This record gives sequence, C-alpha cells and structure tokens, in this order.
Amino acid sequence: MKKRIGVYVCHCGGNISDVVNVSEVVTAVKDMEGVAIAKNTLFACSDAAQNEIVNDITSLHLDALVIASCSPKLHLHTFRAVAERAGLNSYNYVQVNIREQCSWAHSYEKVSATGKAIQLVKSGIERVIFSRAMEPFSIPAEQSVMVLGAGIGGMRSAISLANVGLQVYLLEREFFIGGRTAQWGDLSAAYENGPEVVSRLFKQIREHANIHLFIGAELISQSGNIGSFEVKVKIKPRRISGDCDESGFNQAISICPVEVPDDFNFGLTSRKAIYQHYPSEYPAIPAIDDANCNFCGACESLCKSIDLNQKEEILNLKVGNIIVNTGFDPYEPTRGEFGYNEIERVLTLPQFKRLVDISGAGKLNFKGKQIHTITYIFCVGSRQGEEGENQYCSRYCCTTALNTAIIVKRKFADITNIHCTRGIRTYGKQELIYEESSRQGDIFLEFSFENMPVVEERNGKVFVRIKDILTANREMEAETDLVVLITGMVPRRNNNIAQMLKIPTGRDHFFNEIHAKLRPVETVIDGVLIAGTCQGPKNIMETLNSSMAAAAKSAASLSSGTIHLEPIVADVNTDQCTGCGICLTVCPFDAIVTAGPEDKPAVSIVISRCKGCGMCLPVCPEDAIELYGFTNEEMEGMIDGLTSY
Amino acid sequence: MNSINPKLACDLKKFGTFDFSSCYNCGQCTAVCSITGPDASFPRMFIRYGMLGLTEEIISSKDIWLCYACGDCSETCPRQASPGDLMAALRRFSMAKYEPTGLSAMIYKSNWFSLVFTLALAVFLGFFLLTIKPDIPVSRWLFNFVPFQIIHDLGMIAFIFMGITAFTGLINMYRKINRKEKIKLRLKNTLLTVKQVIAEVFSMKRYRSCDDDKFSYWQSKNLLVKPWFLHFSIMLGFLGLLTATVLDFILKDPALKTWWPSRILGTVSGLFLIYGTIITLIYRIGKVTPAYSQTRMADWLFLIFLLLAGITGFWLELAVFTDAASTLNNLVLLVHTVLSMELVVLFAFSKFGHAFYRPLALFFHFYKNLEK
Repeated sequence: MKKRIGVYVCHCGGNISDVVNVSEVVTAVKDMEGVAIAKNTLFACSDAAQNEIVNDITSLHLDALVIASCSPKLHLHTFRAVAERAGLNSYNYVQVNIREQCSWAHSYEKVSATGKAIQLVKSGIERVIFSRAMEPFSIPAEQSVMVLGAGIGGMRSAISLANVGLQVYLLEREFFIGGRTAQWGDLSAAYENGPEVVSRLFKQIREHANIHLFIGAELISQSGNIGSFEVKVKIKPRRISGDCDESGFNQAISICPVEVPDDFNFGLTSRKAIYQHYPSEYPAIPAIDDANCNFCGACESLCKSIDLNQKEEILNLKVGNIIVNTGFDPYEPTRGEFGYNEIERVLTLPQFKRLVDISGAGKLNFKGKQIHTITYIFCVGSRQGEEGENQYCSRYCCTTALNTAIIVKRKFADITNIHCTRGIRTYGKQELIYEESSRQGDIFLEFSFENMPVVEERNGKVFVRIKDILTANREMEAETDLVVLITGMVPRRNNNIAQMLKIPTGRDHFFNEIHAKLRPVETVIDGVLIAGTCQGPKNIMETLNSSMAAAAKSAASLSSGTIHLEPIVADVNTDQCTGCGICLTVCPFDAIVTAGPEDKPAVSIVISRCKGCGMCLPVCPEDAIELYGFTNEEMEGMIDGLTSY
Repeated sequence: MNSINPKLACDLKKFGTFDFSSCYNCGQCTAVCSITGPDASFPRMFIRYGMLGLTEEIISSKDIWLCYACGDCSETCPRQASPGDLMAALRRFSMAKYEPTGLSAMIYKSNWFSLVFTLALAVFLGFFLLTIKPDIPVSRWLFNFVPFQIIHDLGMIAFIFMGITAFTGLINMYRKINRKEKIKLRLKNTLLTVKQVIAEVFSMKRYRSCDDDKFSYWQSKNLLVKPWFLHFSIMLGFLGLLTATVLDFILKDPALKTWWPSRILGTVSGLFLIYGTIITLIYRIGKVTPAYSQTRMADWLFLIFLLLAGITGFWLELAVFTDAASTLNNLVLLVHTVLSMELVVLFAFSKFGHAFYRPLALFFHFYKNLEK
C-alpha cells in the first residue's frame, strides 16, 4: 500500500488544457487517500518539470508517482527515468493517458472530458497504491548465434556477427550456398553478377574462424529461450566426402543415368542426380541429390571420394540468438495463367533471367527460334486485389524486369521490349533504370486490374492482347516471340521454421516483425530475429540492410553476457495451482511448464519466455496466476477508481 | 483491333522527329497546348500512336493538322521528348502516306535525296524552259543532243503527273480521315464550312491563339515578329504574287506600267514574301524556340526557294527599266522561272503540301463541329 503518492496533471501546452480543466482535475484528486501532493504542470516532460518532480519525490518522501499526460508509448520511459533518478522504483510509476484517450478524443465535449479525466486519474491513483517495486530479470547469454540460410543476407549477418567476436553457426539447407542471388545473373546498379557477389562473401566466411558453416543442414528442433536456445541440426549426406580430381567428377556426372529438370535454371535445362550448378560454385564439389539418385553405384567406381553409404548427422548446438534468413520462392503462376505451362513461349522472370544468363551474346534463341520481340507482363502474382492471395507489391520485380530488358538489348541483337505494366515502381535510385529502359526505346503499356492482358497462340504465333490505359483504353495486340511473366515473391514453400520457432506469420504468410517501423527485425519471440525476404519482398540492398540490422541487434543483446528482461511476467501461486494444465494450452510462447512433486502437481513459468501477455490468467479455474504489474489488486483498484463518483 | 508495330518508331525518326521514346505519358504537352481539345488530346495521344506504331490512327487523323508547331509542348516536356517535333514528323509521314508515288517519303527521309532531286529537277526545268525559246544558241546546242520534242513532252507529262499525284494525295487524305470522322456531305453545311475554312486561313485565328497563349515565348513580342504573322506574310505574299502573275499573263503587257493594280499587288506581295521568309530563316538559323530548332532539308529548300523567287522577281522588275534583254537578266529570268516552277511542281511533295492538307483537315474539324 502506497501512502505518499505524487500526482502531476500535464497541460501539454494546450493539447490537454484547452479541453480538460486541469486545475479541476487536480482539485478533484488532491484529497484522495494516499495522495501527498497533486499539481498541474505546463509540460511534464520539460527539464524544469522533471527536476521539480525529482525534488518533490526526495523532499516529500513520495513512495509512488502518477503523471496524467500523453500516451505511455511516448513518455513512459521518460517518467520511469524521472522516478529512478529520485530513487523511486520505476514500477511504482503509473502513467495516465488524458491526451489521446481524453482531450483529443473529446475536443467538443469539454465538461464531460474533464469528468472523464478525473476518473482516469483516480483509477491511476488506485492502481499505483498497490504497485510493487520490481527489478528486471537477468539471465546469462550464450556467446553464439545461429543464422538460418546462407544466401547473401545470411552470409552478411554471419560475417558481421563473427567480426564482433561471436561464434556463428551458419546453416544452409541446400548443398550449395548463395541462395537466390547465385541464380540471379547480372544485378542492377552493381556491375557485378550474382555468383560474383556470392563468392566475395563466401571467401570472407571461409577465412573467418568464428563462422561454422553447415551445408545441407536443417534445423529439426528447438527449445530454450533467449540467451540459451538448444537446437538440433540434421546434416543431410552429400555423399561426397573429400576432393576428387576434376576429371573424376566430370566422368561421374556424365555416367550418371538419372536426368531431371534443373531447379537452378527453373526447369529450362536438365541435370544429373550428381550435380553442380556452375563451375565456380561453392562448395566447389558436386553433391548427390537423394530424392533423384537411384543408387546404381556407377559413379562410385569412378571417383573414390564418392560414398553412397554416407550417413546423415545430427548436431546439438547451444546458441544465444537465432537469425532467420530463409529467403523467398518466386511466384509460380497457375497453369494457364497468361498461358503459363500451356504456351511454350511463356516464361517467368526467373526463368528468363536464367535464359539470358546461359545464352551466349549475339542472337537470343529459344526453342529453336531467334527472339526479336519480348513482351513482359508485370505484377504476376503480386497486387492481386482484395480477393487475391497476394495483395502486396513484390518490390523488386519492376526494377529487375527493366534491368533485364536493358541487359537483353545490350547483349543480343535486334531486340524490342514491350512492357505491359500496372504502373512502374522503380522507386528511389532505381528510377534511373526506368529512365534508361525508356530511352532505349522500350515500349510501355499499362493495364488495369480489371482488364488483364490475354496471351494467345494462333497458327504458331503468340499474341498479347491488352487494353492500354495510356492510349484511351484502346484494345490492341502485339505479336511477340516471347512472353515473360514478371512474377513476384512468395514465402518459401515447405518451410517449417515458423512453427518450430513460433514466429507469427501475416496474412501473406511472410514472417512478421514486432513493429514494422520501430522494431523491424525482431519477432515476438525474444532472441529470434528475422531478416531478408522471409519477412517480405525486398531487393538485395534491403535484404542486406535488414541482415546487418539483425546482426547488430543480436550482437547488442548478447554482448554484455547477460540479458535483462521485463519483470512484467506471470507468477503461479503453487498452493492454489492444481496442475490441471489448461494454461499450457493457451500460452502462445510455451512459457509454462509442469513442475512440482507427483502428489502435488503444479505449473511454473519460464520467465525468460513469458511475455506478460496475460492469456493464462482468465483460463485458470483456481485463479492461481498473477501478472506482475497487473495484479488483481491493481486491476480492481483501477476499476474502483473509474467507477467512483 | 490495332496491332502494335514497334518498327514504326524507327521509321518516324527518319521523318525528322527527335527521340520521343523517353516520353512517360505525363500529359503536360497536352495540358499546355492552347488548341488541343477534349476530343483531340494531342500531342500526348500521338506520341502513343507513334510509339505503338498505330499507323492507321495517325494517317486517319485530322488532329495532327490542327497543330501549328508553336513548340510550347517541347519546351514544357520534362523528358525532352519533343512532342512538337513529333507532330511535325507525323505530318510529313502522313503526307508521304497520302501521296501515292513514294517520292515525298524519299524527299523527307533523305536530305541528300531531297537536295539532289531538287537540283536535277531544276536542270530539267531549265532545259524545258529552253523549249519555249528554241532559237537561242544554248537551245540549239541542246536540241542537237536531245530532241526538242522529247524534252517538251517529258515536261508536259511531268506536269500532268505531278498534278494527278497531288490530286490523288488529297483524295487519299479525304478518304482516310473520313473513315474515322464519317461525315456526310450536305450542301449547306459544306458551304458554311468552306466559309469557315477560308475565314480561318485568312484570319489565322487558331495560329494566333498559339502565339498569344500565356505560356508562349511570343506572347509579349511585337506583332510583326510573331510566327503567325510571318506565316501570314509568306502566305499572302505568295498568293499575291500568284495573282499578279496571272493578271500580268492575262493583261499580256507587264512592262513599265508601274501603277497598274497588278504591278502594285505584285510589289507589295513580294515585299511581304521576302520579309516573312528572311525573318523565318533567321529564326531557324538562330533556333530561337524549339519549334525552329529542327529544320529538315525540305524546310530549308522551301524557304530558300521562296526567298530567291522573291528576290529574283524584284531584280526582274528593276531590269525592265534597264537592259531587259542582257544575258545576266535573261539568266535571272531563267532562275526565277525555274524556282517558281519547282515550287509549283513539287507542291504535293514538299513542305508546301500543307497548304492544301491543312485546309482539308480544318474542313473536317469545322464540319464535325457543325454536325454537333
């Protein structure tokens, strides 16, 4: 019970006092039981007012503090610091919001606004009476981080973390590193291609003693919490143990009888069951793909480092943080969507990029015909309207499409590009790419969501029909040698990371951050960070930005060796708890575990995982759970304050 | 349905447009144009037609002729796509399409062809003129070489051929535009419209509105230096001289009678013509506004021919007071006549063609308005 409470009612310039009669509020509460002093102040957040409050706390020996001002989102930490400076525990401070929740909301009802403000302040006082002093929890932090995904984002995170002295476990599910960027060919505005960028990062990774790279490795289970996650990793057998002379591998590849479509080239070419995507790829040895290998053993006899009996391995690791950077999949159009999979001259953007990359300069040929006119249809699988699955813009596609159009025109003879867009979004500096494409004579047409272009094949010729907004909605048709569907990004298929790590996903199935603007790489799970395109569409620069942000955030949380957690957590009264376990089913963070002796079962809270959400409280039939900072006494006090007249 | 033809843009460039591919369809050109209308939407829509290669849309359009190339659009364009130049190029392109021989296309596309063809034609016309005076020594020498009758007949054939071609061009234009506008000619409306067209040609009201527009460079300039006035001077000068020449021909005795109305008309018209062409040439040389900065060989030749025809005309007028029959004066007469004949012969194939294509477009424009 607090007996010497200081109450300050802020004018906020005129933001509050123009509507709420501040001195009336002060008068109404100053004689309440426990209130030692009640004042109004022009700006509670000003230096002068803060000093005055500090002086009052020390000179009047106040034991609790209430400030009625703006939203706690704005100044909770300011005033908690004021309390701390005066030697008062910051959890004995309660902020009452009479600006957003009162003066701004009721600017035309001044009299009742003042009444409401009085009730709000009273309820704050009734709450602070029962407040308890609390200190943040401290837990030790493991000096290591696991990064999931060795695309360029993951690699960049790993390097940044290793540079500040943390141990990094970098996991790649595939047998080769580099992710989507390795497939990407020439990059926009970089004068480099994807494989070059990937090898640059890989060289740094190989030289770094702190980075432990696992290829063909998947996370299979996780437990623990920030500071000490216990993770289990499965390493798939590559079935190639060491080095082999190059000709041995080449012979092994040529003798392999299994031929399957090559995913790396999005099915444009085929590969063997023992394969390597391109000669300079890392790691520079091939892999055998179990899903397609028939284990005939023909290759084993040619190269002694091939070992078809290699077994999978399981690793147990302990890490302080996990950074998820698992990337995206290109949108796969449905059969017949703009002729996809029905007309053979219809490709997706990733396929086309591969085609451009693997074709020699001069003439561009596809399926035995030289390509002159290329028609690009934008926003395929993105911006699908209110009814559609993917409502978002995939961000990278306009730029990549136009950049590819420029490359195509430069690399191959006699090319005309026709772009059917829904408005060009080459934002920021990428506008220059649009400029260049426009100046090189590319043709731009614009269609609306209601009038999608139609791709048709007649007498062996492909036509794209479009209603062009830019030409008074006139319907016209372009004969074309190739149609490229500018497909967007979708979350990775068969990605069970979200369930395993309990990362919430959005309506779009991408991983969700806590706060889009203020905490863009953190998730609601402490110690689990997200970066890159698993979070939503991004271009390479944005991917690296977020990857380095995640690395910085992660390093900052682990570097002191201990982690401080909010003390607002649930607490179980073991006398009352019957161990029924209902609370376990509702906790979204797996923060409740069964404990206690067999004859007296009870549950207990893992404080490092508890987020203080309060979900467990109402379901407990025994009312055995309390939430620090929101105890029953405090909540009842608030209600009393609100309803007292 | 229209078919997109990306090749047309390349073809149009040969007709003297700049690089209009950088256009991003903002529509500022249409916004600043003082004579475009809600149902016309030029120049922006024509950039689209040009880019997409909608040839039919271009050649069936009266709208390209409603533009007087003030150049405000090119000046305003945020992408330097020069819509004004494109409109001019589209007019050349359309003239080449209407005219059935393909000669106009070659004249417009190639400056060299334009020059060589004009000079060759001048030589031929010179020879042709000698058929009128078969007795002078040069003629005798020439006719020893090529029979008199052949040159004479060829000349006549050429005149008839050019006449038919020009007429066909007009008919083609009428048919193309009417396929889109679908007007039904009625006597009363036709007469009313012809009256409007004539009023427009002689008042230059629309052209004037371009120069007087608040965005225009010329808005605050003196009347005498405004483009519409220069155009007006050249047109009046040419028509006046034509009338005077015809009157002289009818009256049979041009010499010495200074105060005859036909002589006064000729003198005044000649002064207007020379004034208009000189100032226009200065503008083109100095590139005062974007509208004057893109000059094709066909434009130069047209203006220079007009100017030279005017100057030689005055020379001859003075010559009749002195030694009219001197060799120099005969030579000047030859040059003057050749220039005048070239202007007439190349009427349908040169920039001059706009003198009947534009009134026809105006006819459609006014007729449509009347029908509404």
